[in-house]
Amino acid sequence: MSKSNNELSSEFSVVGKRIPKLDAAQKAMGRAEYIQDIKLPGMLFGKILYSKYAHANIVKIDTSKAVAFPGVHAVLTGEDVPKKMKMGLIKDNPPIKKGKVCSFRDEVAAVAAISPEIAKKALGLIEIEYEELEGIFDPEKAMEKNSPLVHDHLKSNVLKMPWNIHYGDVEKAEKESAFVVEDRFTTTWVTHCCMGTSGAVALFDASENLTIYTNTQIPSLAHKDFLEALKAMGLENKRVRVIKPVIGGGFGSKLDTYAYEHIAILLAYKCHKPVKIVFDRVEEFKATSTRQPTVTYIKQGCDKNGKLTFRNMRMVLDNGGHTSWGATTPSVMLMPISSLYRVENVKYNAKCVYTNNTYSQAMRGYGNPQATFAIESSMDILAEKAGIDRIEFRRINKNRSGDETPQGLKITSCGLEECIDAVKEELKFDGKNEKGVGTGIASLIHVGGGARIYGSDGCGAILKMDDYGKVDIFTGGTDMGQGLDNITAQIVAEELGLLAEDINVVHSDTDICPWDVGAHASRSTFVAGNAALGAAKKVKKKIQDFASKLFDVPCEKIELKDKLVFVPEDKEKSMTIGKLLRKAHFRPGGTMLMAEHFYDPDNQNMGKELKGNMSMTYSFGAHGAKVKVDEETGKVEVLEYVAAHDVGRAINPLLLEGQVYGGVVMGLGYALTEEVTIKDGKIMNANFRDYKLFTAKDAVKIKAPVIETIDKDGPFGAKGIGEPGCVPTAPAIANAIYDAVGVRIKDLPITPEKVLAALKEKNG
Amino acid sequence: MKAFKYLSPTTVEEAIAFHGRHSETAKYIGGGTDVIVKVKEGWMEPDYLISLKKIEEMSELHKNDATGELSIGAMVTHATLEKSLMIRNEYPIIYDAVSNIGSLQVRNVGTIGGNLINAVPSADGAIPLIALDGVALLHGPDGERSVEVKDLFIAPYKTVLKPREILKKITIPPQEPHTGSAYIKFGRRAAMELPLIGIGVLLTLDDDDTCAKARICLGVAAPTPMRAFDAENFLVGKKIDENILIEAGKIAADESKVRDSIRGKAWHRKEMIRVHVRRMGLKCLNMIKDNY
Repeated sequence: MSKSNNELSSEFSVVGKRIPKLDAAQKAMGRAEYIQDIKLPGMLFGKILYSKYAHANIVKIDTSKAVAFPGVHAVLTGEDVPKKMKMGLIKDNPPIKKGKVCSFRDEVAAVAAISPEIAKKALGLIEIEYEELEGIFDPEKAMEKNSPLVHDHLKSNVLKMPWNIHYGDVEKAEKESAFVVEDRFTTTWVTHCCMGTSGAVALFDASENLTIYTNTQIPSLAHKDFLEALKAMGLENKRVRVIKPVIGGGFGSKLDTYAYEHIAILLAYKCHKPVKIVFDRVEEFKATSTRQPTVTYIKQGCDKNGKLTFRNMRMVLDNGGHTSWGATTPSVMLMPISSLYRVENVKYNAKCVYTNNTYSQAMRGYGNPQATFAIESSMDILAEKAGIDRIEFRRINKNRSGDETPQGLKITSCGLEECIDAVKEELKFDGKNEKGVGTGIASLIHVGGGARIYGSDGCGAILKMDDYGKVDIFTGGTDMGQGLDNITAQIVAEELGLLAEDINVVHSDTDICPWDVGAHASRSTFVAGNAALGAAKKVKKKIQDFASKLFDVPCEKIELKDKLVFVPEDKEKSMTIGKLLRKAHFRPGGTMLMAEHFYDPDNQNMGKELKGNMSMTYSFGAHGAKVKVDEETGKVEVLEYVAAHDVGRAINPLLLEGQVYGGVVMGLGYALTEEVTIKDGKIMNANFRDYKLFTAKDAVKIKAPVIETIDKDGPFGAKGIGEPGCVPTAPAIANAIYDAVGVRIKDLPITPEKVLAALKEKNG
Repeated sequence: MKAFKYLSPTTVEEAIAFHGRHSETAKYIGGGTDVIVKVKEGWMEPDYLISLKKIEEMSELHKNDATGELSIGAMVTHATLEKSLMIRNEYPIIYDAVSNIGSLQVRNVGTIGGNLINAVPSADGAIPLIALDGVALLHGPDGERSVEVKDLFIAPYKTVLKPREILKKITIPPQEPHTGSAYIKFGRRAAMELPLIGIGVLLTLDDDDTCAKARICLGVAAPTPMRAFDAENFLVGKKIDENILIEAGKIAADESKVRDSIRGKAWHRKEMIRVHVRRMGLKCLNMIKDNY
């Protein structure tokens, strides 16, 4: 039985406490400054013109009318973009296209003007002559030899990516399997739906140094991208300062730099004025990147006792017209494919294919939701074929502490079994359900201790104390609403015997904050948390050293708690931390207490063989759903939902539950309602009326049992939990629908139409 | 967004006069949940918005106990209808429809008249008023005239209203005893949703339980809200049971002019008409039984 979330981590003063988000009042009272709120003297407004076609040659552009329009300061086309200014993973995407467009979201021109309205009007005055080309919108068709090419200079639409692995011997294992199942699953485009739309404000100082205010989850990598942009513009050795305003939602959408940022830079440079570009909601839907759609072929088998023997998966990913981080999601998909449950023989091949659709990017789970949908649906299908109870089947194959998976993942702490038990207990899987009602379960594994996908997986922290017992900590980590501010404050406060409110977390400015690879891969609590903890430990040591001299006792006898420095066995020897700080400072040869720490986890890059322990530890979870299916309409109602996670330790159960609730609702939308409808490359539902994001009224009651396994490497034992909440949601729902009415839906989202069509087919 | 002047007349005559003065560049506004969106998006660029909010008689919701006639001012908000116990008890089909429009915030300002005048095929508010044989009272420069709500719509976004004419109120004739009515919005979400299909059913039974009156009204089943006359005629004079309702559902589905759109497929919409005519019909029968 899991503990109630109120009883977690009771041995600490600050860690484990349900402390509301530190900036909650600022946000609730409208005081938080988002990109929309940034206003600079002399600021101009930029707008972007997008392509009229999914695939076309640009024959001619005439900007003369726009240039002449009163209030317009600059008009840019692809001709004005320096040759080497390109974005994305393989730099195949200039911020404004020249010669050819390969999706509707391709930028073809941009304007800076004294008002957004004038800029918009000027866009309408730009005359472009296109020559439409045949488009290709189905990635499987795009792989065929005679398919139109999205990029003419390439021989094929298939990207050169290394996603092809074989651990063990899949063919042999298949022959020896008692039961084998094979299926095809598909997922479609969904988008992050950040409540705060994208935007940036760029400005140059008189020495041509760039400051850019922008919504980003990767300040340090964005800093690097913008340095490269300046270099491409001929501005070598200039400085770049990236300032993050308060971010209204990230979910992976801000893991790359985008055309609007580069265009703001180009316009600001040309106009010698600050230039602001902010997306409206339609633009947010049309010109930001989605989660990548997948076609998945899965085959897996087990022996007669239910032990998994092999897993063989092949995927085709719709890359869209350009390449961002979406093309690297197979590196994370590989994790559940090779390591969700014990399976020795694994084959995986993924092809990323250019199409004339929108290009995809990172989104919460980074490929894991797509892979887990196929794996966990297939697990139920296989269990049924083998005649084994689906929970028992998962137990037989569960991951265990001490395992090393075929991919080389080293499983340290592992609470998967406890998570499965918690779901079973809450949803009463053995109970009989009424007609049309069913239960489903699906598990997850995700990186919980960083993810080394870059040369460094590190994060820096600088900590300084004032004369009164307050702390400023400058972290490389990013808070985008997920709660890194609280986590950092609670970790530092616990270590230094202070309160969370004594800690000011600064995370907004590359001029001030140290390097960090980014707020991705559920890594911030673990990596930024360890960086903050490291800095706090160093300062604690300094406090103890100073107190040791003051109290004349050995260092290790000195404790910090309740804002006091004291020796527990000698009540006379006690002082407020503030007083001690002043004693240290205001004396001849005085000192102020500061420390820095850079934490880079001891995890591995996967290398060419795609093997290695990419994370220091892994988070586990199991989700269970009880659904009611209306057999006449195909509509699915979620009656109950349980999402149990092994998080190592809950630093803040309140925020943790928030992350899980949010993840689950996002996952339920993915399972049941959300879909960017794209027809011949064109987005047909660029609004919240037709993009069916769950509303508050659709949200279901979610129970979120927390399993604490106290990870040896995590800060206070914590593991990452940012993404898992939306990873196994869709298969849990799909499995519950099958349990309820006996139809297996293999294509997301599971709409009433799909369910009803399947029921009609089943019932003849 | 283009700037506009906001006028607040206190009588219908004053509103019409304002509109006359500014003619082409003026637009009436009710709750604003449609008009303001259109202005913000630049789809509509009026110089003057003439608010009907201060015209008191237009916000009145009143049932004449002597005649049994219900009068709903066009400026009555969805929330007012939703919260009225009289509406809930005596006109459940209105309650069903308005209580699921948009969100709480939308219902607090959006008006029943605005919902009709906006004239989208999916207008939830239109269906119950058609089912209840509602009559729209229009007031223009030349005085008043009445139009049955079912004849109000010409095409999507188009009504029979003449320039400067105002929808003042909707009257509902007295209800027969032994009447039940119900509406369902079939959609994907529980709020902020347009119906994929909207189905309203009203049944009146004679003392011997045969159907004296039937109304089957559909939203999103045609370019304008429609009545399924064939299905209605099929029901009248019959003793209603589930099998009869199943048959009526089939007829209504066949009569509908549903089509494929990005929101939903025609075949599924037909199925939903078929299923929900029966379900709403059964709901009506239960209501009638409960009220005996």
